[in-house]
Amino acid sequence: MRSFLFLISLLAVMTLATARAVAMDNDYVAILQGDAADKALWERHEWLNLLHYQRSRFAENSFTSSVDDPQFFFSANGKTSPRNEMNATLAAFFKEQDTGNEHAICRFPARLNWLVAHLGIDRQRLPAVECSDYAEWRERVHAGSATLIFPTYQLNSPSSMFGHTLLRLDPVDKDNWSDWLSYAVNFGANISNDDNSLTYVWNGLTGGYPGQFIVMPYFRKIQEYNRIEKRDIWEYRLNLTPEEVGLLTTHLWELKDINFDYYFFTENCSYRLLELLEIARPGVELTDEFVVTAIPVDTVRAIERAGMVDKASYRPSQETIAKKMIRELPEEDYDRLDRVLDQPIADDDRIFQSLPAERQKALFNTAYKLLRLRQNRKQRDPLVARKSHQLLTLLNHYPQAGLPDVQEPVRPESGHHSKRVTFGALRRRGKAYSELGFRMAFHSLEDDDAGYLRGAQINIANFIVRRKSSSGSIVLQQADFADIFSLTPRSRYFNPISWRVRGGLERVFSDGDDRTVGHISGGGGFAWQALEDGTAYTLLTGRLETNSTFTHRIEPALGVSVGGTYSGRIGTGRVEFNGEKFTGGEYRLNLSFTQNMVIARDHALQFHFKREWHTDDNFGEVGLVYHYFF
Amino acid sequence: MKRYMAAIVLASASSATYAVAPGGSDCGWGNMLFDGKSGLGSHFLASTTNGTSGNKTFGMTSGTNGCSTNGTLTYGGDAWVDATQIMDEFSEDVARGQGDALDAVAVMIGVQQQDRETFAQVMHENFTAIFPSEDVTAEEVMASVNNIMKNNDRLAKYAV
Repeated sequence: MRSFLFLISLLAVMTLATARAVAMDNDYVAILQGDAADKALWERHEWLNLLHYQRSRFAENSFTSSVDDPQFFFSANGKTSPRNEMNATLAAFFKEQDTGNEHAICRFPARLNWLVAHLGIDRQRLPAVECSDYAEWRERVHAGSATLIFPTYQLNSPSSMFGHTLLRLDPVDKDNWSDWLSYAVNFGANISNDDNSLTYVWNGLTGGYPGQFIVMPYFRKIQEYNRIEKRDIWEYRLNLTPEEVGLLTTHLWELKDINFDYYFFTENCSYRLLELLEIARPGVELTDEFVVTAIPVDTVRAIERAGMVDKASYRPSQETIAKKMIRELPEEDYDRLDRVLDQPIADDDRIFQSLPAERQKALFNTAYKLLRLRQNRKQRDPLVARKSHQLLTLLNHYPQAGLPDVQEPVRPESGHHSKRVTFGALRRRGKAYSELGFRMAFHSLEDDDAGYLRGAQINIANFIVRRKSSSGSIVLQQADFADIFSLTPRSRYFNPISWRVRGGLERVFSDGDDRTVGHISGGGGFAWQALEDGTAYTLLTGRLETNSTFTHRIEPALGVSVGGTYSGRIGTGRVEFNGEKFTGGEYRLNLSFTQNMVIARDHALQFHFKREWHTDDNFGEVGLVYHYFF
Repeated sequence: MKRYMAAIVLASASSATYAVAPGGSDCGWGNMLFDGKSGLGSHFLASTTNGTSGNKTFGMTSGTNGCSTNGTLTYGGDAWVDATQIMDEFSEDVARGQGDALDAVAVMIGVQQQDRETFAQVMHENFTAIFPSEDVTAEEVMASVNNIMKNNDRLAKYAV
């Protein structure tokens, strides 16, 4: 009986103790929440950054997180309430029910660290959980320093036109290391494999994809960009301290498998990286200026302005290297190169043995690079594989064969700024006009191409307004959604196609007068190198135009475009002849000459002269404008 | 380091161990030299979207080719990178005698800074032994690398 009573009382005491402990913990959470309220802790920018809240521009205390995932929030309305989310997070840290890796403590270590620091939370009072996944991952990441990676522009895809940014996490001590093995942190749209490019463009622009962070070895990115995509890569070593990188990495863990909003123009890869850097260095403000667009190179500029860049290095693509190797071969060896590429090689082939060893080596080295480049994106071909192996075996005979040094081009962030305003005057059909223009992005063939890809024109949202001096009437001269022109010269070993796509509204001379039409135009053809810094091109063009004077309102036209550009010391000049004929019979011909004169990095003058021939008239136009980039 | 080499040597020693071979049976261990990069899609415009598709990874598993981390596949404690993914680049660097991929593999194996030069040279001299034909598999390659290291005074300590 006594032992029974003793047992009962022991049980009672234990239950009371547990209840009291729970009550005490609940009390403790309440104390912490009260403390947070006193300090209005959820208004601090570090908390807002950790939860990726965006301040509403219209309502004073209205926030919305760009995280679009219930897994990220403990509160039911965590997405819009920093306050509720903080209170719910605090409560979650003390939950006894969850264990191990699923516990809030293990899933949100960055929030925990920050709240501990600002509320003085007693870590001893937190549930004892083992965060094995987090510990293992953290150990593995080797995150001591960070490098901003910028694969450069490539016109063949909407997602590559403006370049891309990702982050590489390197160990503190890089002596016994290889960059290839570092972690690369990449934010991108989580697309379905079945989506084609048009679906991608549509969904990417309208927020139809979730975005996620993924982490993978950097060599995968080298393979993807340098090799498959043939893009040069710029690497900007950042001056983040190990502690700052620690903050970033801890938060990165919190973002594992978390869905964000993804918008191609605004909340894209580059924008999210800026957010990570703001978390690494609390107080630095990087995202504020990127409201309408976050063009990757502009984000690089922002990071540089914030004093975060240590130094930059350049990693040329496989294509850039191959082109350099070809240039370094003596011209007389081109035939030999063709032989190596196209025909089986016998070991005792005389035409090679007569060459000095250095030239033989260069031949096989170049041939191998070209062969692999041509195999890009293709399925394994046993014959090509055998040839490749053969070339490597031959190359192996020489003591050592390096790759050529490629001169570092002008850095992308050193080029002219992305937006452009224009004003000037012109004379057309005997009348004087003044002109005002604005281009949202990005680069025209005539603009100074330092830091840009030569021959890559990307004009997005390009507007021109004209005012007739005599009457004061103002018209919309041009409104292009996009004007993309890829001018890539062909050579003996590379045969790209040059193409152009353009669409929008513009004023053209038709049926006796200038009038506004809507159009989509395009063209495809070839370009060639002409002199060291010139390009000549021929395109076959097509145009679909809505014109109120057309019999059928919409008519297509076929035409040609022949021209050339030359980049001299003062700037780039361009000559172009266009001719097109509509199915309804109207034809338009014009010959224009444009000369851009670079004054400074963000200032230029541009002169043009044009002669137009139409079914019912012909006349000239001459103008001078000033461009300012910002 | 050592465990990495052990894993690969074990795997290549007997086909019966394939089921428990590091990386799992679907892992791209057997890939051949100059394996083509298929499956990228043939979109009208280039396929990369700078995003993710298919093989999502957060560095927990190696993510590609179904490789898992449950085997003893490690390098310096990291269980998610394997040299087979850079076979093409490695073969080129061994043929030439220098390069980033060569360095990366050296680090993976655990070759110290002072022995890298030797490693590059020894591999270069033994190209034909390591890559006897274009159909050599990654397992065979790493097994050869291991054997060659064993027979070299300075590199033997890195071999299994």
